[in-house]
Amino acid sequence: MKKIPRIAAIVLAVTLLLMSLAGCSAADGKTHLTFQIWDVAQRDGMQAICDAYTAQNPDVVIEVQVTSWNEYWTKLEAAAESNTMPDIFWMHTNQILYYSDFGMLADVTDLYDDVDPNFYSDHYSEISLSNAMGSDGRIYGVPKDKDNICLVYNKEMFDAAGVSYPDESWTWDDLTEASQKIYDTTGKYGYLAYADDQLGYWNFVYQAGGYILNEDKTQAGFTHPATQKAMKFYIGLQSNDWCPDQSYFAQTAPGVAFFSEAGSMFLEGNWNLRQEMLDYPNMVGKWDVAVLPKCPDPVSGDGRATISNGLCYSTAARGKNLELVKDVLKFFGSEEGQRIQGLSGAAVPAYDGLEETWISAFDQFDYDLNLGIVVDQFEYCVQSVNNASRPKWKSLVSDELIKIYSGQVDIDTGLANMQQMVDNASAVS
Amino acid sequence: MKNSSMGQSKKIVTTVTYAALILGSLVMIFPFLWMILTSSKTVPESMQIPPTIFPAQITFENFTRVMESLPFVSLYWNTALMILFRVVCAVAFSSMAGYAFAKLQFKGKNLLFSIVLMQMMMPSQIFIIPQYQMVAKLGAANSIFALVFPGLVSAFGTFFLRQAYLGIPNEIGEAAYLDGCNQWQSFTKVMFPLTSSSVAALTVFTAVFAYGDLMWPLVVNSDLKMMTLSSGLATLRGQFTTNFPVLMAGSLLAMLPMVILYLFFQRQFIEGVAMTGGK
Amino acid sequence: MSNPKSGTVKLSAAAKREQNWGWLMVAPTIIGLVVLNVWPFIQTLYASFCEHLGFGHYRFLGIDNYVTMFKSPEFWKATWNTVYFCILTVPVGIFLALLVAILLNAKVKGKGFFRSVFFLPMVCAPAAITMVWRWIFNSDYGILNQMMGTSINWVTDSKVVMIACAVVAVWSAIGYDAVLLLSGLQNISKSYYEAAEIDGAGKITQFFHITLPMVSPTLFVVLIMRLMASMKVYDLIYMMVEDTNPALTSVQSLMYLFYRESFVASNRGYGSAIVIWTVFLIGIVTVIQFVGQKKWVNYEV
Repeated sequence: MKKIPRIAAIVLAVTLLLMSLAGCSAADGKTHLTFQIWDVAQRDGMQAICDAYTAQNPDVVIEVQVTSWNEYWTKLEAAAESNTMPDIFWMHTNQILYYSDFGMLADVTDLYDDVDPNFYSDHYSEISLSNAMGSDGRIYGVPKDKDNICLVYNKEMFDAAGVSYPDESWTWDDLTEASQKIYDTTGKYGYLAYADDQLGYWNFVYQAGGYILNEDKTQAGFTHPATQKAMKFYIGLQSNDWCPDQSYFAQTAPGVAFFSEAGSMFLEGNWNLRQEMLDYPNMVGKWDVAVLPKCPDPVSGDGRATISNGLCYSTAARGKNLELVKDVLKFFGSEEGQRIQGLSGAAVPAYDGLEETWISAFDQFDYDLNLGIVVDQFEYCVQSVNNASRPKWKSLVSDELIKIYSGQVDIDTGLANMQQMVDNASAVS
Repeated sequence: MKNSSMGQSKKIVTTVTYAALILGSLVMIFPFLWMILTSSKTVPESMQIPPTIFPAQITFENFTRVMESLPFVSLYWNTALMILFRVVCAVAFSSMAGYAFAKLQFKGKNLLFSIVLMQMMMPSQIFIIPQYQMVAKLGAANSIFALVFPGLVSAFGTFFLRQAYLGIPNEIGEAAYLDGCNQWQSFTKVMFPLTSSSVAALTVFTAVFAYGDLMWPLVVNSDLKMMTLSSGLATLRGQFTTNFPVLMAGSLLAMLPMVILYLFFQRQFIEGVAMTGGK
Repeated sequence: MSNPKSGTVKLSAAAKREQNWGWLMVAPTIIGLVVLNVWPFIQTLYASFCEHLGFGHYRFLGIDNYVTMFKSPEFWKATWNTVYFCILTVPVGIFLALLVAILLNAKVKGKGFFRSVFFLPMVCAPAAITMVWRWIFNSDYGILNQMMGTSINWVTDSKVVMIACAVVAVWSAIGYDAVLLLSGLQNISKSYYEAAEIDGAGKITQFFHITLPMVSPTLFVVLIMRLMASMKVYDLIYMMVEDTNPALTSVQSLMYLFYRESFVASNRGYGSAIVIWTVFLIGIVTVIQFVGQKKWVNYEV
């Protein structure tokens, strides 16, 4: 048995070699923090904020890491269970209630009490703050940004069809008329109406005076007459010749169709605009943005709405470096931190009054997009739909919507089913 | 008479063989060809109806776009290291276990082998969360070790090499034993070399599997510099959705070194297989 | 334990040494498998009887998940989809791979070239392969419809989407299966064929009496491997068909359903029940194969 030590030695050697390849722990005496995000396009902007912080605090190193959207949540949940969450991470309204209600996120309500007890309410809008709140009304993340949805249109196609560009006076009827005219003259698709919630039907539902979730978020509104009116209008768009069907969008994303000049209009989140200017240099100058068309005959309200969402910077409730991280978060939420974010073009800062910084990040391009409308739209924006059980009903509802689109269920039954799905899921939690 | 008819039927067989091989090759090669052609088109051209076969104007814009988005050198390096370590681990541990299961008598053998078989039945997706938590607890996320982690041992390799050892007559081992070798020596000096073609096949299998592994690298390594080619491509897809010219350019760059390596490697591989074949 | 030979089973010193070597040599693999796979599987088994409250907290439920599962049409559809995928990929895939291996084993010029071509998909990341196939299959701008003059919705029509996925699966795997089978074919001694030739046996007789029995151990490995992979299929379908695809329910395999339940909707208890069912199915199929192999696999060469 004298050979055993040799085998053991081989096994040991392999193990050691692998271990040596494992992350080399910091030997520079600095505190290393990790910062997890999901959007590659904002990586540089986030790094810029971190650099500004570490310039003032040279004993801290912050590393920005990007994980794709789907894996981000798989990973964050797994990390939360084993108490190995990243030091700082983005939190989304889809998930914040799930995390905060389970006590996974650090409460940062008192973060600025030493500076100004009213700091949050003085500098952040109600929507931004409610996007960062748990069900208990406490704040579980420093507001990061705010966004809304706008109408992107191809100027050349409008010119060719002799249709005037979309503006504040536009209604749903103008949207369909323009689509028809553009299709008739150029043969290109009109408005690309695809089965998305935030970038699609939600906007129309709220414009018509309907709702997806009621005020206290316990019940859905899919059977509300205004919601039904909007859903029927939106889903009905697909039956027009000028609109591709959902099978098309499953293979060609609306943005790609638009920027390869196959369609003339689509709804886009303002956070994507800068990347699209960069990604499609040949298209710069050929397209612009406008406010969303309004509902001509809303059941209630003035017919205007756009869905606004906002992320926040959160940290784990039981993190190892909690005090230090809180200090970093404090900087992220300060005017300076928010200004850097805006200037980098990453997103519209949640901090009130810094909207222009984001617009100035577009100065590098030869063509000035009409970005003022993004700021204007914050006047009447609606908070992105959310409750604690949204992760459970989100895919159920979108599956059902697909069934309506493909004709497997008729629209009234489908909406009734959606109503039930959301109500059931919301009642359980 | 007999000879000429034989010759004729032989000719027909040869022709059919060639026809089948050429047709098959076309089917195999076409997607790659289309990848190359698409990668040098602009997005509007790629979506033109009717489509153009050859790009109207060859553009390298897609390649520059991809290289701005992904650190390809790191991706190549990480993928190579991950494959190397997974192959070494799989071959070393699976050879030992495969030999023991095939040739040695020990208590609990059937029970232990059933663990191997059971693992092969389990879908790997269920291990992702627990294994990620293990890596995170070890503080080893975002490292090469993390990439190798699920491939430290290989149930398939053990099963596959056990089959190989079963195919070697017992007399060979017994002869070595009579020559004074102990079990370890007869394994390393006599039996292991006889399985070289199976080891080669396992190497390829492990490498291909590791190369294609998508979800694990995506979950465990989020630093772009620590990603593998597959997970890098998935990231690219998240960013460019259905912008196919860019995606094709990325795919090409991701595949290129592997394909080149393979063109050198396959000769030895197939000849190695052929060499042991005759015995 | 002063006298080690007092046990009921008496082992000679040599047999004891052999036993120790056996344990020692399987130890790394077994320990690794237990830590990396068996323990997580046991946790999954437990979770399948629980409701997931969130973040790894479970409440014991009993068999409720299984009751819900067996009542769910979506689940049965996913089971059928998985079986259908196996039917489309395993027999056809292995048949084609064997054909390729036989063709490559024949005396043809440019053999090296053909081999390289067929094995090419092996060295390509599946992520890249599915991307190009999705592009080829694109119903509006894809080359396939253009060449055939059709307008088939390859990846969004519920009737053809599974065939499209199977084409990609077979196309990707054919090279690897063929290389294994080829190595099996090359192991067959030429003398068998020479002897058969003298006996006047035709090519077809030779194939069924020499080639097939001799290659059967390799064929068995390929069959087991391919069937298991097909029953666990997830990545390929996930990359071919996104969750906004109207044909999703017609192509959603068991593991895809598991992914959507466990990872996206956080229904880990229910998701675990789906996994247990999948493993159960694979187990049955494997047992059938191992019992069946005695009838057709020939280890005596």
